Amino acid sequence: MSKSAPTQASSGYQAAAESLRDNDRQWAAYESRGNCVVLAGPGSGKTKTLTIKLARMLAEDVSPPRGVACITYTRACAGELVRRLDDLGVGQSSRLFIGTVHSFCFQELVIPFGRLAGLEIPESVAVATENDRASHFSAALETVHGSDEKPFDWLGRFGRFRRTNLDRHQDGFVADDEGVAAIVLEYEKRLLKAGLTDFDQMVDFGLRLVEEHAWVRKAIKAKFPILIVDEYQDMVPALDRLVRTLCFKEGMRLFAVGDPDQSIYGFQDASPELMDELAKRDDVERVQLRLNYRCGQRIISAAETALGQRRDYRSNRAEAGTISIHKRPKGLDDQAAFIVDELVPSILSRLPNGDLSDVAVLYRDYNTGSAIAKEVQRRGWDFIRLDRGNPLPQSPFVDWLNQCAAWCAGGWKTGRPRLSSVISSWLGLRRFAAADVDRRELQVNLVRFLQGHREPEDSAFDWLNEFRDACLEGFLTEALESRGEKENFEKLLAAFQPKGAFAAFTVRTLGGQGGAKGHLNLMTLHNAKGLEFAAVIIPDLEQGRLPNYYALKELAAKNDRQYREERRLFYVGLTRSKIEVHLLWSGWYKNKSFTAQNGPSQFLSEVAKAIGYPIA
Amino acid sequence: MHICRVEIVNFRNFEHAVFECGQNVVLLGENKAGKSNLLLALRLVLDPALPDSGRKLRMEDIWDGIEEPGPEDGVKVSVDLTDFEEDENQLALLADHLVQPEPMVARLTYVWEPRKNLKETPRKESDYDFSLYGGDRPENRIYGDLRRRLPMELLNALRDCEADLARWTRSPLRPLLDQAIKEMDAADLIRYAEKIEEASEELTQAPEIVKQAKKLDDQLRSMVGKNQALDLLLRFAPIDPDRLVRSLRVFIDGGKRGIGDASLGSTNLLFFALKMLEYRQLVEEGDREHTFLAIEEPEAHLHPTLQRLVFRNYLRLREEEGENKLPEASVWVSTHSPHIASVAPLDSFVFLRSDGNATSIVSTAKLELSERSKEDLERYLDVSRGEMLFARGVILVEGDAEKFLVPVLAKAQSVDLDEAGISVCSVSGTNFGPYAKFLHALGVPYAILSDGDPDAEGVLGGLRRAESLLEKLFPETEWDLATWEATDEAAAENGIFVNGHTFEIALFECGLTVEFEEAMTSISSTGKRTERMEEWVSGNEEFDPEQFLKDIEEVSKGRFAQRLASFIVKRGSTACPDYIRKAIAYVQERANPS
Repeated sequence: MSKSAPTQASSGYQAAAESLRDNDRQWAAYESRGNCVVLAGPGSGKTKTLTIKLARMLAEDVSPPRGVACITYTRACAGELVRRLDDLGVGQSSRLFIGTVHSFCFQELVIPFGRLAGLEIPESVAVATENDRASHFSAALETVHGSDEKPFDWLGRFGRFRRTNLDRHQDGFVADDEGVAAIVLEYEKRLLKAGLTDFDQMVDFGLRLVEEHAWVRKAIKAKFPILIVDEYQDMVPALDRLVRTLCFKEGMRLFAVGDPDQSIYGFQDASPELMDELAKRDDVERVQLRLNYRCGQRIISAAETALGQRRDYRSNRAEAGTISIHKRPKGLDDQAAFIVDELVPSILSRLPNGDLSDVAVLYRDYNTGSAIAKEVQRRGWDFIRLDRGNPLPQSPFVDWLNQCAAWCAGGWKTGRPRLSSVISSWLGLRRFAAADVDRRELQVNLVRFLQGHREPEDSAFDWLNEFRDACLEGFLTEALESRGEKENFEKLLAAFQPKGAFAAFTVRTLGGQGGAKGHLNLMTLHNAKGLEFAAVIIPDLEQGRLPNYYALKELAAKNDRQYREERRLFYVGLTRSKIEVHLLWSGWYKNKSFTAQNGPSQFLSEVAKAIGYPIA
Repeated sequence: MHICRVEIVNFRNFEHAVFECGQNVVLLGENKAGKSNLLLALRLVLDPALPDSGRKLRMEDIWDGIEEPGPEDGVKVSVDLTDFEEDENQLALLADHLVQPEPMVARLTYVWEPRKNLKETPRKESDYDFSLYGGDRPENRIYGDLRRRLPMELLNALRDCEADLARWTRSPLRPLLDQAIKEMDAADLIRYAEKIEEASEELTQAPEIVKQAKKLDDQLRSMVGKNQALDLLLRFAPIDPDRLVRSLRVFIDGGKRGIGDASLGSTNLLFFALKMLEYRQLVEEGDREHTFLAIEEPEAHLHPTLQRLVFRNYLRLREEEGENKLPEASVWVSTHSPHIASVAPLDSFVFLRSDGNATSIVSTAKLELSERSKEDLERYLDVSRGEMLFARGVILVEGDAEKFLVPVLAKAQSVDLDEAGISVCSVSGTNFGPYAKFLHALGVPYAILSDGDPDAEGVLGGLRRAESLLEKLFPETEWDLATWEATDEAAAENGIFVNGHTFEIALFECGLTVEFEEAMTSISSTGKRTERMEEWVSGNEEFDPEQFLKDIEEVSKGRFAQRLASFIVKRGSTACPDYIRKAIAYVQERANPS
């Protein structure tokens, strides 16, 4: 162990960059000198281009101690970027921030500058859990409007108000909805008093800090003269404004990547127009990637039909791919049984070295997910389920537990994940344990546990229990650090206990959460963003489900905003597939209170017609 | 960039010391006042060469005043930095550690404290641990990379410059030569190497050399036999082009003598020069952003003339660098040398003073003086070789006459000012303000002897001056000075002593008349002045103060004072004006409390 790790060739990215040369658009992005916006359709090598360009900028364009900040939307995307950069020989360092927009606002703006700038935040502040938020919201609602109001009637407006009224802290601001404004004020006051903050507030604070204080802009620009934004189409208005302030007012260099066609966070007030506008600026170089390395040409065409827009992406794949439409008239359960009993086995038989993990079932929401999961469990397959019905909670701590399990299950041999990154994530979670000796103890205990538990086939339940006794107790009892994680941990244990939903889970399966061999992928269309599979199955394509009922209602009222987003959602689903796409419908669906007989999804009909098999 | 404030808690001889400072610092204080401890405290925060084992303190490092340290008693050192925000590299390094936004101030803190999870009171070193953090947020930990980019380097008093210069890994010559290698054409370098190789080969083959080599070789063979032979040659080291340049060494006196033959002084001079070049280069190459150079008692090896030249240059870097460029290094020098102290900028002094229990630290960084006053004071320190800085107490006087006579008068009161460490400093006039402020800031006890100088109405100008001085020195105090008596009293309580008229008249009137007569007799060229003096002394004529002063001025006040001093000593006179007696006692009490 005393041998030093082999030094990564500093030219790792230079070798990798050679692979961009043949694609003139990717090369143009790689060669960009100033602000650059890369419009990257599905499968266009977006992440590859971004990571290689990032490595280059870090090596050639900024010198220590200054660095590069790279922000993206989800922890999963950030984790993927970290892995890809590691492959290029770019390790984690203080010169490189990679994380979500929220952690950027929190760690890089609110924590170091918030109190200095006079924001009224407590000395130690933690992120509110869903329960925290709900309870403070109810309390705020009751204080402002009395106890007769139902939270559900206000939540949507409440969230929208906070995300769209960016100037609400400025003098002279007049709220158009004073009832909501009062709740927001009360809610935010309560949250801070409890030593908590939430995602919307982090962004709000971040924006205020950079807009109101020249010294904050100066400091952040000194640290990060270059700002890289991944998935720009997901930016909510506040973040868009934050990026514009930093880049066009303060002069940070911007490298933004994204695809307006994949903007599917309208419910959080993201919109594709923000990125379109950004790309039109005179002081920004616009690079449109054209080549799609993922999808067969037939799949690309079908997807563009679904989108309702011609994009002229070209496939780089030899196979054209297949689109199959399956009618299962007996409803969703029938679709689920068909998927498990016939569709998946036949797909696997066609794929060379076919593995369950090559296949994904993508759907609208967790109701559909539950129907599929039931059949998958009946069949006895391992699966990963990413939706609200997932009994496995998701959080930074749970992500880290998965990493630990992955290390124990074989990562120690392959270096995926690296032990050092497992340790540093742990120390990050335990950031309030200040003394060095305590931190060393944390580290030693962790390594001792992991070393001693390298048994992939041990039960996940036992492993977690032993892990808790050896290392986690201190964390789980620290109210501030482990905000909400204690509950998450208990949910995990409940799921893995001998009679729980995942009693059969082993260390290996736990470690595989997020892309393991042998697991069928079940997830919502939203969660599938950024991922790719050999075959994609989309069930439940009924008119009123996709597009959904509300979008159709608004469309009838001449507002196609949500309807267009529904198209993009379907587009995202179709473009996850490399070779095979399977689309299922029944012509009817059941809701809580009624059964709707609206026929197949209109988007499905359009695709069917375009591929020459119109649905009668 | 520079350190603008330092706070030390519970470390060695410091209970709680806070001081402000500027670009460069001159640390003054008697032996054992804790100058080295202060530098060590800074190094705990800033020195990358200090190993972690050095950052682990011992129980005896906790301030002595704490007999049984409790769970809250830890050591803490905070260093505040400022003047970095216009340099983006420096700002990038410190942005996470700000404690003040405009102008930006960053704080780096070292603590050594009982471990949080300790069940009982701490008793031993392993109950403690250290950590470093920035911006007053303990969870915002700082690591070695920060220290490496803002290092404090210590040149201690007893270092061996010669060995450092000779040893490649530590030589400050190294970066210069490495830079030369980088800039050199590789082909040229190889060509030089080949030439030397050639010449070396020729020399090796010279029969005289071969002969001697064989002699040694034979001797070895006869000792160990041919199987164990060493196959010996006499030659230069094998020539590798890079190593060739690195093997260049410094010679002095036009190449005649190696550095080993140079005087300690020259070696040190060279060493300092190389260090400054090195720091500049390290910043230019992006290896670091700034260097804090701590030098302990450099006077040990430097001739006074060199001390003055070198440190005048070092400590006034800012002026030489011009306005646009910030200096790459700040210098913290601890010294007992008046030669160094006397050339330092006025606002660079940090003064350590021990009361036996704890050391207090004061500084002149925030001294509010006009540029002109500063220049005057600096010039005064320069020509007086920093006398005031090393005094235990100071008596400020108007001119040379007092300077000659006050020590004599004190002696007559059985106070030896030299022994007491009390200096008499002349401000050449009545502008005591800047001097008093300076001493006030340094915490040096002082008294002011001022002439009364009555105006036409009989109001004493000296008291007017005293009043304005009191207001300047103690801006927070509300003075109730309704009458001149009140002013006089308040002034005396604060060390300002005013006579009724003029120094000489006060002396004359206190009873030193015979001595005045003798002095005048021995000095005056005309009989008239002597005669008048005789008449006043004998009382035959009414004393005429104006004529009296005129006569003394005509023979020169200073010369007269010297002569008068001789006669006072000769006669063993003990008379002394009251205000002078009080002033001496005032300073003595404070400078040497019994």
